[in-house]
Amino acid sequence: MAEDKVLLKIDNLSKHFRVSGGILKAVNGVSLEIKEGETLGLVGESGCGKSTLGRVVMGIYEPTEGHIIYDGQEVQIKKSKDRLAYAKHAQMIFQDPYASLNPRMTVESIIAEGMEIHGLYTPEKRKERVHELLELVGLNKEHANRFPHEFSGGQRQRIGIARALAIEPEFLVCDEPISALDVSIQSQVINLLIDLQKKLGLTYLFIAHDLDIVRYISDRIAVMYLGHLVELGTSDEIYSHSMHPYSEALLSAVPIPDPKLEKEKKRIILSGDVPSPIDLPAGCPFAGRCRYATDKCREEKPALKEVKPGHFVACHYPIQKD
Amino acid sequence: MAKVLDIKDLYVSFDTYAGEVQAVRGVSYSVDEGEVLAVVGESGCGKSVTAQTIMKLNPMPPARIKSGSLTLGDIDIINTPEDDMQKIRGKEVSMIFQDPMTCLNPTMKVGKQIVEAIVHHQRLSKEEAHAKAIEMLEKVQIPNAEERANQYPHEFSGGMRQRAMIAMALSCNPKLLIADEPTTALDVTIQAQIIDLLANIRDELNTAIVLITHDLGVVASLADKIAVMYAGKVVETGSADDIFYNASHPYTVALLNSLPKHDTNKSDKLQSIPGTPPDLLDPPKGCAFASRCEKCMKICRHKQPPVFKLNDGHEAACWLLHKDCPKEGGKS
Repeated sequence: MAEDKVLLKIDNLSKHFRVSGGILKAVNGVSLEIKEGETLGLVGESGCGKSTLGRVVMGIYEPTEGHIIYDGQEVQIKKSKDRLAYAKHAQMIFQDPYASLNPRMTVESIIAEGMEIHGLYTPEKRKERVHELLELVGLNKEHANRFPHEFSGGQRQRIGIARALAIEPEFLVCDEPISALDVSIQSQVINLLIDLQKKLGLTYLFIAHDLDIVRYISDRIAVMYLGHLVELGTSDEIYSHSMHPYSEALLSAVPIPDPKLEKEKKRIILSGDVPSPIDLPAGCPFAGRCRYATDKCREEKPALKEVKPGHFVACHYPIQKD
Repeated sequence: MAKVLDIKDLYVSFDTYAGEVQAVRGVSYSVDEGEVLAVVGESGCGKSVTAQTIMKLNPMPPARIKSGSLTLGDIDIINTPEDDMQKIRGKEVSMIFQDPMTCLNPTMKVGKQIVEAIVHHQRLSKEEAHAKAIEMLEKVQIPNAEERANQYPHEFSGGMRQRAMIAMALSCNPKLLIADEPTTALDVTIQAQIIDLLANIRDELNTAIVLITHDLGVVASLADKIAVMYAGKVVETGSADDIFYNASHPYTVALLNSLPKHDTNKSDKLQSIPGTPPDLLDPPKGCAFASRCEKCMKICRHKQPPVFKLNDGHEAACWLLHKDCPKEGGKS
């Protein structure tokens, strides 16, 4: 299903924040491409910059360095007119369905707000469109006049999805859309996202830390560590032949819901914590916790290289497994 | 092995403006020495309320223990007055919580917080208690424990805070440790460290652990026994193998199936459980899972299923297990 047309290109993107302790380097020189119709999973631990990257891609933050090219054109967000034009194409689904819906607005006004801002449709047509959208995400039109507090977490997330789809974007950034939901509800939302992708031909940037879900939904996966892109490849490649020591440890740390497999599995336990993004190490960002690290790793930052077709790794000594 | 905790037919309700919320409706489970019992279920199923009742942490009112028995070793918790509870909490049973930042006092040095717990229960001098606190921090693998004991919680990372919480909880050698979602707020690599630590504690100190979580992966890696809860009731209990390989209650089966397996493709749909859990202000008359159950029969809507014994230690509350039930259940 992944066609070869590149929808979004991120080129050497960095985002730094000025904080009281210095400069927080949240995202450092990330380059990647998202193809039309695919789902790119973005994984990493908290503080690795995955949400910041998502927000820069959305045009919420201005990049410190680098460019975002959407459909062949550079994304401009300095002027609010340009920012609005880009928002027509790219929308976002948020993590917390409780915080991301205005409690004083009805579902109808929440979903219709985007259409009003973009001046789409007549007021009557908008109402019709809200009903369509509610049905599309598995709710019904009777829900339109209710308020967010009347809904459960899973239903609210559906409202958030309907809102994002209201202005017919082609590209959705999903920032941990299911982390706040229960297991049985998670699969409902995941199935909905996949259905919508098939029906509407959407492209997703799917940010999450639940690696099993990411493997399931994504065509390709990007692994981030401390603001750097450390590995990028198809989902099967990353899961069965991960080449970066960090991806290897991250995947081995995920507990498998099967006691026998869990007992047999060798878990690589990383010692220590993620270093501070304010004071980045000179060499490979992962060197301090890596069990294969050498002096070269501590001194020289490895660049992202294509090791196998379509499989990129930023490591001096990528793991070679058959 | 000695039973550390035994809960029988416990009912806990909350009196609210909207009415009586029947949060726990007849829960029974027990834990032996050196055993990890995982309590699994969705939010609002009563797993945390049950655990908090073990320590009587629920403010009463609005909470109210309606009936049932709850014994910890040979102490009858339900009839223990608050003054005596103070001596039990921390000494006989202690608890670690989901979010370590909100459970540590931000204005107090970590070492001092552990010392506070120690001197409350043990006759030790200040120096001895301090030495013990550092020993506990070392036991939970905090590097430079001596230095770290003099730091404040905000100087610790998330994983270290959880370790400090565990050190504090274990400082008086409790017989039972309740871990309420201990890894939910942590990253997977840190989660792996904490799982490892909890397994070591069970093996070395023979502490019984009640692990409350919704993450079935964590359950598989730690639990000896599992209790699955739904809408205030235990619907199935059994050994880890019983539950993961021979699940009998449709809810347990659906819960396990809703997780993507390692070989699930994007083209296969994830199984989901339609609908949402019932409102415990007005719980259904029959089986609470009936409205979401694929195999629901007529009787399920009218009468609560009794607990059927499948083998030693494996029990489930579902009409499908009745000897007169047709093989296929109801409509599928």
